[in-house]
Amino acid sequence: MEIRVKCRCGEEECSEWAIVELQGVVETQASFQGSIQNLEIGRLCHSDSSQGTYTFTVGYHELVGSKVTLKKPLLVLKKLQFDEVSGKATELEVVGIIRTKILFKTRPKPLISGNNNLSLNKLKPLYCFIISACFNNVVSVCTIE
Amino acid sequence: MEEIGGAEAVINLKSGYSLPISYHPCFGPHEDLLLLEADDKLVSDIFHQRVTLRGLPDEDAVLCTKSKTYAIKFVGNSNSMFLIPPSIFPGDAQVSDTNNNVSVLKIAPGNMELVEASPRLDKLKQILLANPFGAGEVEAMMDVDNDDLDHSGKKDLALYTWSDLVNTVQASDEELRNGLQSLSAIEIDGFWRVIDENYLDVILRMLLHNCVLKDWSFDDLDEDEVVNALVADEFPSQLASHCLRVFGSKVNETDKWKLEPRLVCLHFARQILREEKMRLESFMEEWKKKIPDGMEERFEMLEGEVLTEKIGIETRVYTFSVRSLPSTPEERFSVLFKHRSKWEWKDLEPYLRDLHVPRLSMEGLLLKYTRRAQPKADAPPVFSAR
Repeated sequence: MEIRVKCRCGEEECSEWAIVELQGVVETQASFQGSIQNLEIGRLCHSDSSQGTYTFTVGYHELVGSKVTLKKPLLVLKKLQFDEVSGKATELEVVGIIRTKILFKTRPKPLISGNNNLSLNKLKPLYCFIISACFNNVVSVCTIE
Repeated sequence: MEEIGGAEAVINLKSGYSLPISYHPCFGPHEDLLLLEADDKLVSDIFHQRVTLRGLPDEDAVLCTKSKTYAIKFVGNSNSMFLIPPSIFPGDAQVSDTNNNVSVLKIAPGNMELVEASPRLDKLKQILLANPFGAGEVEAMMDVDNDDLDHSGKKDLALYTWSDLVNTVQASDEELRNGLQSLSAIEIDGFWRVIDENYLDVILRMLLHNCVLKDWSFDDLDEDEVVNALVADEFPSQLASHCLRVFGSKVNETDKWKLEPRLVCLHFARQILREEKMRLESFMEEWKKKIPDGMEERFEMLEGEVLTEKIGIETRVYTFSVRSLPSTPEERFSVLFKHRSKWEWKDLEPYLRDLHVPRLSMEGLLLKYTRRAQPKADAPPVFSAR
């Protein structure tokens, strides 16, 4: 089987996607019942005081990180499946390219101070962080479906 | 500040500004979206539509450019990678985010990485050698009056067109073409075939016979003359010129061909030995008889094709062809050491010469797969399995 990797755009016009990467997993509190579509995760801030520093505030937590240019770009591929007369066909189409990510590699700091103690309860929905114990990458092999 | 959203807003976020990040209205697993890490050269190949994935559903997929093959590894990441599309996502109106929001479409569990790999050409060898083109089919091909026989004869065989090969063999176009060439394969009626060695033997002997008869020099053969003579002897013209390609080489920038003594002599050695082990002396005697006048056989011509073994005072010779060995280093060394537990370098080298492993030199291969011993300081090294 041969799957062609197509693209409708050229390298210059290819639209750029972005990645915000942080340690562990962001989860909504167990009490949150609704759908998470459209839900705000947090606020990304490009710091004013020191160039190149970004903060990401999620619920009561603040992450500090930086903008990283990827050594090798990541291509965003979309798997297209359609039925031809002869049978099923698959194609991969390049839909975007990722050259930079905002990386938060530190653990979150709790945001607690005397002044805003009261307002904390107003922050809904609440998020918590689950920091995975193991940061080793897992490598496995892909097959064509 | 200009009202923009999506990935652009994140990438271009100015110092001193902030923006909210939400889950996208279409947030979900989006398993049809994959991330592929690629260096700049590959990115350019991909944008020029020169890249395909190849493999059967039960095989590990490989990615092929025009000239190279890459294994695809999925690298999982325990970090959360929030994937943020651009505000206008062409080709998918449903996913486009019109509200200038910055939103996360998917959390990517990892990405695919590419590792340059050797083409998997053993399969090519295996499928082509399963159905060599032999005398029976030649008769059917020459017998123009009997179309039915031709068709029914081929129906049962598994034959491969170029596009079948591309769909079956995990190799880039260039590697596949080189693989076909090193198997001396030929395209007949749209199918890639190898010619049965016994049938090649018949053509070659007829060609050599014609050389004597017509007083042609082995180094100066005119393709048209050779082919016409063989066609007169009822060989198909396509196979006649193929015979020149198998046993000869083109003389620089002319239409002339020269027969390669090594290839011709090797062919006759294989014809004599077949599956047998022979005393070296009787083999050399029979071999000499088969070699046409004007060519000279030398035992070194059989490097990588035959081995000798000493039993008492007798030396015996037998076929052990590098062409029959697997092409991955691991399997190759395993077969070699199963056949013989200790190898001297001069015997071993011809069986390794064709191994090309990306990022690994011959020295590296030997370190990885063999143990080297030197019985005496001035003795040649001996290699055994690790």
